[in-house]
Amino acid sequence: MTIFTLDEVEKIFTNGEIEENILKGISLSLKEGEITALVGTSGSGKSTLLTIAAGLQPASNGEVLFDGNNLTTMSAEQVRKIRAKEFGFVFQFAHLVPFLTVEEQLMLMLEVSGSTLSKKEQKNEVDQILDVIGMKHRKNAYPSSLSGGEKQRVAVARAIIHKPKVLFADEPTASLDSKRSKDMMELIRDLTKKMNITTLMVTHDEEMLSYVDRILQMSDGLVLESQ
Amino acid sequence: MNIGWKEIKKNKSRFLILGSIVFLVSLLTMIISGLANGLSQDNAALIKDLPDGHFYMSEDAEETYNLSRIDTDVQNEIMNKHPDAVALSIQMGFLNDQDDKQQSVAFVTSTNSDLFEQVNKGEVIVDRSLKEKGIKTGDRLTNNQLRDELVIKGFVDQKKFSHAPVAYINMEDYKKMYNVEQMQIVFIPGEDSSESFTGLQSYSNKDFLSTIPSYNAEQMSLTMIVSFLIVISGMLFAIFFYMMNIQKIGLYGILKAIGIKTSRLFKMIWTQMFFITIIALTLSISLSHLFNLIAPKGMPFHLTIETTTQLSIIFLVVGFIGATLSGLQIRKIEPLRAIQQGED
Ligand SMILES: Nc1ncnc2c1ncn2[C@@H]1O[C@H](COP(=O)(O)OP(=O)(O)O)[C@@H](O)[C@H]1O
Ligand SMILES: [Mg+2]
Repeated sequence: MTIFTLDEVEKIFTNGEIEENILKGISLSLKEGEITALVGTSGSGKSTLLTIAAGLQPASNGEVLFDGNNLTTMSAEQVRKIRAKEFGFVFQFAHLVPFLTVEEQLMLMLEVSGSTLSKKEQKNEVDQILDVIGMKHRKNAYPSSLSGGEKQRVAVARAIIHKPKVLFADEPTASLDSKRSKDMMELIRDLTKKMNITTLMVTHDEEMLSYVDRILQMSDGLVLESQ
Repeated sequence: MNIGWKEIKKNKSRFLILGSIVFLVSLLTMIISGLANGLSQDNAALIKDLPDGHFYMSEDAEETYNLSRIDTDVQNEIMNKHPDAVALSIQMGFLNDQDDKQQSVAFVTSTNSDLFEQVNKGEVIVDRSLKEKGIKTGDRLTNNQLRDELVIKGFVDQKKFSHAPVAYINMEDYKKMYNVEQMQIVFIPGEDSSESFTGLQSYSNKDFLSTIPSYNAEQMSLTMIVSFLIVISGMLFAIFFYMMNIQKIGLYGILKAIGIKTSRLFKMIWTQMFFITIIALTLSISLSHLFNLIAPKGMPFHLTIETTTQLSIIFLVVGFIGATLSGLQIRKIEPLRAIQQGED
């Protein structure tokens, strides 16, 4: 079942007099529960496409449809609510909040997503997910005392603790070594499959492609289905 | 979750520095306000303690009470019309105590009124500050313009004029000393609007105060310093939060990306600003009032709860504006900036 659709999405950046057409009419659909990888050379517009899909910046033309909603025509506040409740984000760097403990990062995300659980139930959720990512013993640690791999695992936990429908990941393994990258991909795959989360992931690491269901190749502002 | 508070807890030293600066600036502001107030009391308590009303001096005196002469007929006309009106005169002068030491005083005499001490001929009532100079009730003082001695009848609290203790004397003695028949000033208490009398110019209490030499100059410079300090404290908040916000642009972007409202980020800054300011103000209020109690007797320092409350409210408002201005840049941060930025 299709949960997410881009229809003829264009993005034009104007740098002074020069107009650059970065996305030239991209259409694609994501199927519920599938992991889709977006590959392509650096500067081909992958991040731009991902952020438009995630409602982080507007498209110049075309439509972004999620679960029956048209993100293109919604108000900024409506899009924010969808981002908070239905989307999860992992970026190249963990970008954790430096003054919150691991547990607090996740509690904050539950709160922002408008969770109706009681404080106690929320803490249980946090404990459970920390167990899954093997970070329960670091629950009261601040990000500055975590390793790169640990931070990224917490970032993944933060992206999915509120059970979003879609996970957006922009080169989530780029800051990790090869062994940790594979662990990270396994973690993302396990969690999204278990929770039936649809994933759109940018990567340029060939090795990671074995963990995904579908690969889209970006080039020259257009998307091609590969394999 | 109160993220503003969590940040303070994690970055104590950073906020401690801002807090200390706010504390020092607000303490300085309060001390200087106390000084301004003290000086103004020292300069003009005699006038400041009067109820609201209107002062009249002769037009040709050109705002100098010393040169003013109220025509006796006009004075009588006013006194008939306003039974509570009072005619008075003030002259700077000296009293010699029993050891022949000269004490500079402001001689004050007036027609019958509750607003000014009434003394009999040959008697004088002086400000309590002279007691510390060794003058006692019953002492006989002399003045080089008066043949008879003046006997100290008693003391009054906080009656100063032009930084000198007030000495209330009888009108007859006054007329003899200064060889004049007319009074300088007529004061009519009451909120009524000023009336016009032939040859007289009217002044509100405030206008009259500013005709006292040095009063305006003193108060203006001190008010200026106080306003500068308040503006500086506002800028401190703006600059401090601006610097912190610049460092946190990436973080704000991420928080916005995951769906935190901009208004919540503002609340975070406001919480921090109020927390720091309230602690700093509590400390500076306590210390400045402590100083009020222990300030050396000779130092004109007078700080009221009213003044500190007013200053505190101003500090909170100015801090709020400063923090909010610095926060305006947060509104402009695009959540996606964060994704394009490297590790914090
Ligand atoms: N806000 C922007 N303004 C102007 N040009 C931009 C902006 N964002 C991205 N670009 C340009 O769009 C192109 C694609 O960028 P991006 O989507 O980040 O590529 P990728 O993630 O595939 O490396 C680049 O040439 C980049 O310089
Ligand atoms: Mg990119």
